[in-house]
Amino acid sequence: MIFFGLFKESVFFAINALVVNKLRTFLSLLGITIGIFAIITVFTVVDSLEQNLRKSVQSLGDDVVFIEKWPWAFDGDYPWWKYMNRPLPDYNELDEIIQQCNGAQSAAFLISSQITIKHQSNSIENVTIICASHQYEKVKNFEIADGRYFTEIESSSGRPVAVIGDVLAKALFPNQSPLGQTIKINGAKATVIGVFKKEGESILGGSPDTQVLVPVNYARSLIDIHNENLDPQIMVRARPGISNDELIAELTGLLRSMHKLKPLVEDNFSLNQTSLISKEFDSLFEIVGIAGWIIGGFSILVGGFGIANIMFVSVKERTNIIGIQKSLGAKNYFILLQFLFESVFLSLIGGIIGLLIVFTITQLAGDSIGMEISLSRSNVILGFTISILIGVVSGFVPAYSASQLDPVEAIRAS
Amino acid sequence: MESIIRKRPKLLTFVCVLGFTWIVFSFPAVFSPSVKKLGDWYPALFGLIVAVSFISYIGVWHMKRWGVSLFILAFFVKEIILILINDINYIGIVFSSLFITIMVFYYKRMDVNL
Repeated sequence: MIFFGLFKESVFFAINALVVNKLRTFLSLLGITIGIFAIITVFTVVDSLEQNLRKSVQSLGDDVVFIEKWPWAFDGDYPWWKYMNRPLPDYNELDEIIQQCNGAQSAAFLISSQITIKHQSNSIENVTIICASHQYEKVKNFEIADGRYFTEIESSSGRPVAVIGDVLAKALFPNQSPLGQTIKINGAKATVIGVFKKEGESILGGSPDTQVLVPVNYARSLIDIHNENLDPQIMVRARPGISNDELIAELTGLLRSMHKLKPLVEDNFSLNQTSLISKEFDSLFEIVGIAGWIIGGFSILVGGFGIANIMFVSVKERTNIIGIQKSLGAKNYFILLQFLFESVFLSLIGGIIGLLIVFTITQLAGDSIGMEISLSRSNVILGFTISILIGVVSGFVPAYSASQLDPVEAIRAS
Repeated sequence: MESIIRKRPKLLTFVCVLGFTWIVFSFPAVFSPSVKKLGDWYPALFGLIVAVSFISYIGVWHMKRWGVSLFILAFFVKEIILILINDINYIGIVFSSLFITIMVFYYKRMDVNL
């Protein structure tokens, strides 16, 4: 009980000392504020980007294998001259994959291009059109907020129907429902039968908010689906319980036999998966995180020196008060705690201000750049931890030296 | 009991200097991305260990027995956590054990007061 009384008293002393020297308190906590701000900002941005990337990759499907002509490779070794002679994935290969690949749950052929869409006097240029076969719905993760997806008959017969993104729906059909309305895609009519659920900006691009989805058999009348520039690909989703590696092994055998490749001949197709993108971004985020850690670390170190300096001054200023306190019976640990609390408070206030600045910036930035940036719980804990740690480490030596003062000599000090 | 100033052996000075250097390098590691990845509370836990280790070195520097006790406590807590996360540093264990041996050797010469 006595200990808690002393504890309370030392906290009171510390707060009082900080309030009396307002300007000094403000200047000394600036270092910590800047340090915490720097390090937590970098961690928050990196965490948010990482989260957005994972969300984007997840929407592509982490159990999906993409059969393409070009591999997704990000290192220096990229023999493009070998890849350029490869055949393009063909729509005719799709049926064989669906029928023969046991590890595949579903598969879809798709191509994409940039087009202009119109509705009456409203026109939007450079809209991404996705022309896909029927199982696209089962391979790609997306939700339809309004309306429906194509029926099997609409897909196979190539009916002029389209599912459009939320942004396009609002731009082309302001204040009215887009369902049942007609849009013109490169001059050809199509009926809107669905609207994608709004997803927001994607770090990898290709947000469904600004896309138009039509059956690939309808697209044949609009564009040349064998054109290499349309990036034809076949997406294959693995059955539950089948790993991507197993699926890739099975697809490799199947595609090699379909392409009639001899045993020693290299594959003339690429089997890509989203983990390749994640891995590449992971290393990038790691570098950014380390850079932020170093920059913020130095700022915090400087802030810590500032606090240690101000605490030494504080001890020097209050030497005779320490002497009086000790002569009246104050224990060494009471003096120690008094100064230690002062330093921890100082550092903690600096840290809280830094965290508040980061929080304000994330709120403002999130709205303006259209990407979700949030100050996570782990970063808040980290901010508090660093603040307290700096307070203890930088304040302990001055506090300890104060606690060891001889009462008689301390009272005499001018 | 009255506190008296005790002369610090050179070996303990050497141990403390090495310890302070270790603290300088360990401090940034508290908020490194690799520690942060382990979990929300790991930076706080490592921060606490670093702070306690730092305080213990100051105690040993001033020839105080509580410094040795605190150092041993910090060492065991740290090693238990490292074992739990499967990140055992054998060089660290050897150095810390050596430091503890030296500190314990001079323990009787140290002051019992704060």
